[in-house]
Amino acid sequence: MANPKDDLDLDQGRGGGPAAAPLPPADPKYAWPDQQSVLGTPVKRLDGPEKVSGRARYTFDINRPGMLYGRIVRSPHPHARIVSIDLAAARRAPGVKAAIVWRDPANPERNTVMYQGDEVAAVAADTEERAIDAARLVKVEYEVLPHLTLVDQAMSGNAPEVFKGGNVRQGAVQETGDLAAGFKQAAHVVEETYSTHVITHVCLESHGAVCEWDGDHLTAWVSTQGISAAREGFASGLQIPSANVRVITQYMGGGFGSKMAPDAQGLICARLAKEAKAPVKLMLDRKEEHLATGNRPSATARVKAGVSADGLLTAFDAETWGTGGAGAAAGFPLPYIYQFPNRRRTHKDVYINTGQQRPMRAPGHPQGSFVTEVLMEELADRVNMDPVEFRIKNLPPEAPNAMWGAYLRRGAAEFGWDKRHKTGDPATGPIKTGMGVAINTWGGGGRGPSQARCEIASDGLVVIKCGTQDLGTGTRTLIAVIAADTLGLPASAIRPEIGDTMFPISGGSGGSTTAAAVSPAVRIAVVNALDALKEKVAPTLGVEPAALVAAGGRIHVRDNPSKGLAWNEACKLLATQPISVEGNWQPGLSSVTTSGVQFAEVSVDVETGIVKVTRVLAIQDCGLVVSRLTAESQVYGGIIGSLNFALFEDRILDRNTGQMVNPNMEWYLLAGMSDVPRIDVRLVDQPERGVIGIGEPPTVSTAAAITNAVRNAIGVTVRSLPLTPAKILQTLAQRRA
Amino acid sequence: MARKDDKPGGFAVSRRDFLKSAGVVSAVTAAAAPPELDAQGVAAGAAAGPGEVPVRLMVNGKRLDLMLEPRVTLLDALRMRADQTGNKRGCDRGACGACTMIVDGRAVYACSTLAIEVQGKAIRNVDGLANGTTLHPVQQAFCEKDALMCGFCTPGFIMASVALLEKTPAPTPEQIRRGLDGNICRCGTFSRIFEAVSSVKGVARG
Repeated sequence: MANPKDDLDLDQGRGGGPAAAPLPPADPKYAWPDQQSVLGTPVKRLDGPEKVSGRARYTFDINRPGMLYGRIVRSPHPHARIVSIDLAAARRAPGVKAAIVWRDPANPERNTVMYQGDEVAAVAADTEERAIDAARLVKVEYEVLPHLTLVDQAMSGNAPEVFKGGNVRQGAVQETGDLAAGFKQAAHVVEETYSTHVITHVCLESHGAVCEWDGDHLTAWVSTQGISAAREGFASGLQIPSANVRVITQYMGGGFGSKMAPDAQGLICARLAKEAKAPVKLMLDRKEEHLATGNRPSATARVKAGVSADGLLTAFDAETWGTGGAGAAAGFPLPYIYQFPNRRRTHKDVYINTGQQRPMRAPGHPQGSFVTEVLMEELADRVNMDPVEFRIKNLPPEAPNAMWGAYLRRGAAEFGWDKRHKTGDPATGPIKTGMGVAINTWGGGGRGPSQARCEIASDGLVVIKCGTQDLGTGTRTLIAVIAADTLGLPASAIRPEIGDTMFPISGGSGGSTTAAAVSPAVRIAVVNALDALKEKVAPTLGVEPAALVAAGGRIHVRDNPSKGLAWNEACKLLATQPISVEGNWQPGLSSVTTSGVQFAEVSVDVETGIVKVTRVLAIQDCGLVVSRLTAESQVYGGIIGSLNFALFEDRILDRNTGQMVNPNMEWYLLAGMSDVPRIDVRLVDQPERGVIGIGEPPTVSTAAAITNAVRNAIGVTVRSLPLTPAKILQTLAQRRA
Repeated sequence: MARKDDKPGGFAVSRRDFLKSAGVVSAVTAAAAPPELDAQGVAAGAAAGPGEVPVRLMVNGKRLDLMLEPRVTLLDALRMRADQTGNKRGCDRGACGACTMIVDGRAVYACSTLAIEVQGKAIRNVDGLANGTTLHPVQQAFCEKDALMCGFCTPGFIMASVALLEKTPAPTPEQIRRGLDGNICRCGTFSRIFEAVSSVKGVARG
């Protein structure tokens, strides 16, 4: 996934595009089988029993002999220069074994904190409670500097220049077609401003690590989405060879894009462990999570859009901006998917004194979707068209990776779209209901290097080793399903081993790339291993290896299942020479770009302003479905995440002090069981396209679908998120006024 | 939002009751010796701490003797001093529910319950729920329905579900929703957790 400082490709999210069908793999023997035994079936999550029993060890659960607890001292100020740091009192505190500075008051490059929660110093003590006590004893003298909390304030000409080179970074103008001609063709023009807010990742397992040194070798258990990237991060941050670093992530409690690197807390943990000559656990607390470990940038778009009398989009002109915090970009794709032949867009990144943004599940797309889809709803009303028909009329051409039109028709039929009333529920009484729709896309796709090793021992055990990791998406299960299908075994016969940089290298889990990067490598490794096993078995059966197939727990002659050996008997022939072969990712087994549509139904109480989502229907493709249960779970989760974005989550800052006022989980609101609607998930199988990731796309469009459903219910448009009761009431009051 | 102060059937401790009984009161009276301490040799009425004091807990039917500062929570005592790491710390202030344990038959937030205050009570955490390799019916149902993703909230959801089903073996859909409203899953597995808990049969009344 992109470095948060990199620009997001503002042109992504156009949808459709390059040919969707993959080239066949170089060697056809690696191709996905036509007849699938385990692939695509609802195999139970392989590590479910470990997780439900509490036996699964997350980084937070690693307890090492003699382990200390680390604690970071953080800036209480949104912007300050550090004049001095005094560790003496902390070092004398009970149980303290190490204390380090992270900022250097004497170094102008390293003596400034840019947001509340920026790292300053750290301590390690024998209990967590004592580490917290000692951190309070670190004396830091700050020279408080002017700060920026509000985007409007940062954009105004009279704001102090807090960021070198300016508080605003102006992007290039993007322009296609003839804007003036486009508006001339328009029969109706909508001019409005739309905006989305900042939310934080709130991974339930906080960021952090356990670091243990053996001489100049570091073992780091890290809650990370990228064990290889984390290893490189430790190596460069600590100036040691990456070969000296081993990163382990057996289980991790959510990342959503925010856990791609060791971060400051990982390096601090390693340095504390070095100084204390003991293992150190440093896990952040909930407040630190909200302040310092990333967020989804805000987005505002001042849009002017035109539509012809017969409902064709003609022109789109937008000025957009957003904040990704202190010096980080805030890009998002716009317009999203729908075809505006003539368009122009200018974008500004606005810097304020908060923690930097990080990629958050489908970075940029929920924002682009919200702006575009709410606008589409307003345009459809101007030309008096049904929103589904209006969307279909303005989609990119249909292709395997651009199937929205078909999904919209299918979804409308299943959802009961024909029962939708026009904008504004005519029902009397305070409860208004409505329906809305929105569409999504995501690139995803796999790439190398991604390698897997398949080991088959004489006892018949199949071990797949791959240096990937499981965020909770079900990577182990995915690996087992592919290996089982290839070997004609049940998934339970496969032991996937992941989450360790000792295993063959694979990529980070970001951008929905894991399934499409890991699956081909596993398929190729296991096909190679099976070839090796056939070589051993063939002489015993008196046939050529090519005559053998693996199916139903046996290695047997093709079309003659009785002439063969049971799996365990076949593996016994390996005796003391187990099979160990690798597979490398190749193109041809995975693909890029998904399409999906979502329908939402809501009820809104116009007396209290409370929005209740009652139903969501998702139609989503992701190429070849490998592991059906876990793939569906991704869609459920994406929808609920987007519901949170629409209704509940909001990072609230005090405009005067720059402090976050809800850095917790009781005032930073998230949906509970009672807030979750009925959700129907329809996966569309496209096996001919190979494997495509599904983590991101389902979380793009629910918020927009909900917003459009609210508009359909109450008859007025809410053009900013979140849809809080206060905002609903305010919008209704404005209409009455 | 999941801010349900009044839970029907009393099968799970409400946030308000919980704060009254565990959070606020404990914070004020932490330094005063609870009666249970008498058995530990600390004089009645004397302040316990701030240094370590002996604390005896009954966890999953087994006695656990620890030396703890009185400020140590039940969650931290078990996770950091007894290596029972099944229940998780998500928010550390009684909002996410990942720490949910069952104390004397009631679901409590172990992150906001002081260990010293639950001496003499029957404490159950997820580490003790399965019988060897045989999963509890609730654990089994979570696996069957894929009612988990990253799994970090799962131990808390499972203990809250067990507490609910032991009080209300055949809950209505509304009772399930209310009973689990004190727990948050960031991956968004609620739909399947609901299915899983709905499917469980035969949990003995606690």
